Amino acid sequence: MAGPSWDTSRYLTLFSGEATEHLEALGKDVVSLEKGATVALIDSMFRHAHSVKGMAASMAFEGTAKLAHLLEDLLGTLRADVARSNASVADVILQTVDSLSGHVKAAAANEPLPDSTALMTRLSELNASMTGRPATPTAPSPAPVVETAPPPPKSTSAAPPASNPAAPPRFSVKLKINPASNQPGVRGFLAYKRLGTLGNVFDLKPPLDDIKAGRVPQGTITLELETDQTEDAITRTMRTVADVELESIAAIVKAAPVVAAPAEVDPNRVVGQEPARTIRVRTEVMDQFLDQAGELLLATSRVRELSRGMPAAQRPPLDEAVDRLHLLVKGLHDKVMQARMTPIAVITDRLPRAARDIARRRNRDVDLVITGEDIELDRAIVDELADPVLHLLRNAIDHGLEPTEERTAANKPPKGKVTIAVRRLRDRVVFELSDDGRGIDVERVKVLVVERGLLTRDQVTALTERETLMLVCLPGFSTAADVTDISGRGVGMDAVRRAVEQVGGTLEIETRAGRGTSFRLSLPLTVAVVNLLLVGVGDEVYGLPIGKVSGVVETARDRLAMSQNAPVLQFGQSVLPVHELSALLEVPGDARTAALVPFVVVDGDDGRLALAVDRLLGQQEVVLKGLSKPLDLVPGLAGVTILGNGQPVFILDVARLVTA
Amino acid sequence: MAKKVLVVDDSVFMRDIIKDIFAAGGFTVVGEAGNGVEAVEKYKELKPDLVTMDLVMPYRNGIDATREILRGDNKALVVMCSALGQETMVMEAIEAGAVDFIVKPPRAEDVLAVVKKVLGEA
Repeated sequence: MAGPSWDTSRYLTLFSGEATEHLEALGKDVVSLEKGATVALIDSMFRHAHSVKGMAASMAFEGTAKLAHLLEDLLGTLRADVARSNASVADVILQTVDSLSGHVKAAAANEPLPDSTALMTRLSELNASMTGRPATPTAPSPAPVVETAPPPPKSTSAAPPASNPAAPPRFSVKLKINPASNQPGVRGFLAYKRLGTLGNVFDLKPPLDDIKAGRVPQGTITLELETDQTEDAITRTMRTVADVELESIAAIVKAAPVVAAPAEVDPNRVVGQEPARTIRVRTEVMDQFLDQAGELLLATSRVRELSRGMPAAQRPPLDEAVDRLHLLVKGLHDKVMQARMTPIAVITDRLPRAARDIARRRNRDVDLVITGEDIELDRAIVDELADPVLHLLRNAIDHGLEPTEERTAANKPPKGKVTIAVRRLRDRVVFELSDDGRGIDVERVKVLVVERGLLTRDQVTALTERETLMLVCLPGFSTAADVTDISGRGVGMDAVRRAVEQVGGTLEIETRAGRGTSFRLSLPLTVAVVNLLLVGVGDEVYGLPIGKVSGVVETARDRLAMSQNAPVLQFGQSVLPVHELSALLEVPGDARTAALVPFVVVDGDDGRLALAVDRLLGQQEVVLKGLSKPLDLVPGLAGVTILGNGQPVFILDVARLVTA
Repeated sequence: MAKKVLVVDDSVFMRDIIKDIFAAGGFTVVGEAGNGVEAVEKYKELKPDLVTMDLVMPYRNGIDATREILRGDNKALVVMCSALGQETMVMEAIEAGAVDFIVKPPRAEDVLAVVKKVLGEA
C-alpha cells in the first residue's frame, strides 16, 4: 500500500500520546484477562489493538502496524471463543504490548523502530494453533477475511423471467473493478448491492461468495439486471460507486419462452433458484412490518373500546364491523409473525464444530446428537439464544462430562454424549440440552452458595432440590471446583437465564447424580405477544408478565409478619420479602388505608418476592413494544404497550426493578 | 455551499487526519464523534450531508450506529472507514445501508474520490 500522502511529522506527538494511552489500557486489560476472560474484555482489547494498528499504518510505521495487526488477529480468535484464553496467551499479549510501547517510544524519539520479527512469528504461530489454520507468513499481507458463519440461504423472488411475459426488461451488465482497489471483494459486493436496489440480479459471475471473498478474475463481474429503470438510470447509479467502472450495458432481447427442465438450473444464478417462490426481505423491514401490524391490533382494540360508549341501537352493526376488522388484523399479524420464523438450525449448525474444539482442548471425547433443528422460532428469539446455547454446551462438555478414565471406572461408555433435542410443545418450543455426565452435586451447590455469602445457611436448608439447582444461575456462582479455561469463571449461567427470560422463556435444570444433567429451555414461539397482569398503583397502571407471577395474596398491611424489621409475607410454605411497588417506581400510591391490599407474588432473581400494589386490574394479552431511548436505559422497564383505551402501560422487569 | 461532514472515529488522531483531508478538499467538518452512541446523537443534531464512520468503536460499533442513523433518516449517506482484514464487517455495514467505504490509512485522494462519488459530484 502506498504511504500516506501528507507530512506525518505534524501528527507524531498526537500519535505517540494516543497510542501510549491505548497500550496502557490494553496492558490493564491483560491483567483483568488473567482474572477471567469475557467477550466484553476481549472486545475492549481488540479495539485498542485495532486503534494502534490504524494509527501506526497512517504514520507509515509498517512494522508497528503489522505487529498490532497480528495482535488484533489473535484477539479476534480469542473473541470468537473466550475460553481459549489462558496464562500463556496472556503472556504473549503482554509481551506484544510491551514491544509495541517500545515501537511508539522509538517513533516519538525519531529513532529506528525495534525489530520484532521473532515476536511476530510467535503471534502468528499461536494464532494458527488456535484456529487450526496455517500461520500466515510474517510478510506484510492483508489479513484473511474473518471467517463467518455461513450466510443464510440467499434467494430472491421471481420465477424465471422467460416463463413470465410481464417481467420487466433485462440488461446485461459488465462491471470492472479498479485493479488498484484495496478491497476488490467489498467493491464488487457494493456494486452488486447497489444494482440490487434497482431490481433483481441474475446470472451473477463470479458467484456472490467468490466476489465477497475477493475472487474476481481480472476484476470483471457480469450479471443480468431485471429492472424497470432505464439504461441511463443504471449508468447514473453506477457512477456513484467509486472504483467500479460500468464497462458495458445492453438490453437483452427476450428469447422465445423455453420451458427449462428443473434439473438444468444454472448453479451460478443467484436468485430464483428455489422451486418454492421466496423473497428476500431485510430484517429491519420485517421488524417494522411487525411493529405496524401490532399497532393495527392496538388501534382495533381502541375502536372497540370507543364503540362501548355508543348508543345501544348503533352498537350491533358497529361491533360486527369491529369484529371483522379484528379478525383481519389478527390474521395479518399472524402472517407477519409467520414470516419472521427462522429454523433453530441457524444456531445448532455451529455447535458440532464448537463441541469438537472444546472437547479436544479438554481431552474429552464427545458425541453431539441434535434433533429437531428444523423447528422454527421468531428470528429475534433465535438471535438471542446463540450465546446462551453455546455456553450451555461448553458447560456440559467441560463440567458435565467426566474425564474418560473416570467414565470407564464408573462403567460408562468412554465417549461422553451431549444431546440437544428441540421440540414443539403446544405454543412453546422446548430446547433441551442434556449430558450423560456426573450430574450436579446438589449438596455441594448449597455449601458453595453459603460459602460465597450468596444465601444464609437457613435459607439454603429450606430449598427444594429444584430450587437449589437454580442457584447455579445466581450472579457470581460457579460450581467448578476446578476452574478451567474453558467454561470461564462463574460468569455465564446468570447470563443464560437472563437471556432466556428476556425473550419470555423459562429455564429448568434437572440432574441425577452419576447420570447427567439436563437444561430445559421453554421458549415462546414469538416475542411480541405477552400475557400481562395489570396492576394499579395510585393513578398509574403497570403490567407484570404473567409468566413471572406465582400468585396473589390479599391481606392487610398490619397483618404482615416482621423479620429483621422488614415486613414479610407468608406464601405457602415460604416467607417472602415484601416490596411496595409505589416505592420501587417512585410514584405516589393510594393512601395506605385500604383494609385489604393485593400482594402479587413474583419471581425475582434471588427467589420469589411479594409486591404490594393498590389494585388488580385483570389480565390481558398485549403486543409488546420495545422501549426507545432514553427509556431503554431505565432499569426495571421491559417494554411498553398501549391498552384498548389508548393508555400506554409500562411492562415491568421485576428482577431488575428490585436490584436497581 | 460546502458540504457538511460528520467524522466518527474513536481515535482523535484518526479524526484529525480525516478532518484535515476534508478541510483541504473543500468540505466543512461540522462535527465529530468518538463512539457510535455519540455518532447517532450528533447526526440528529447536525444533519450532515455525509458521515464517515469507523467500524470498531466502544459502546456502539459503526455498523449498529449506521443502522440507527438510517432508521432515523433513510437518505443518510454513511461511508465506512475500514482497515484491511475487515472485509466481512464492511460488507455487513453495506448490508446495513452504508453507501461506500474508505480504507485506512486514509489517503486524501481516495477519500475525496469516494466522497465526491457518493455525493454525486464526480
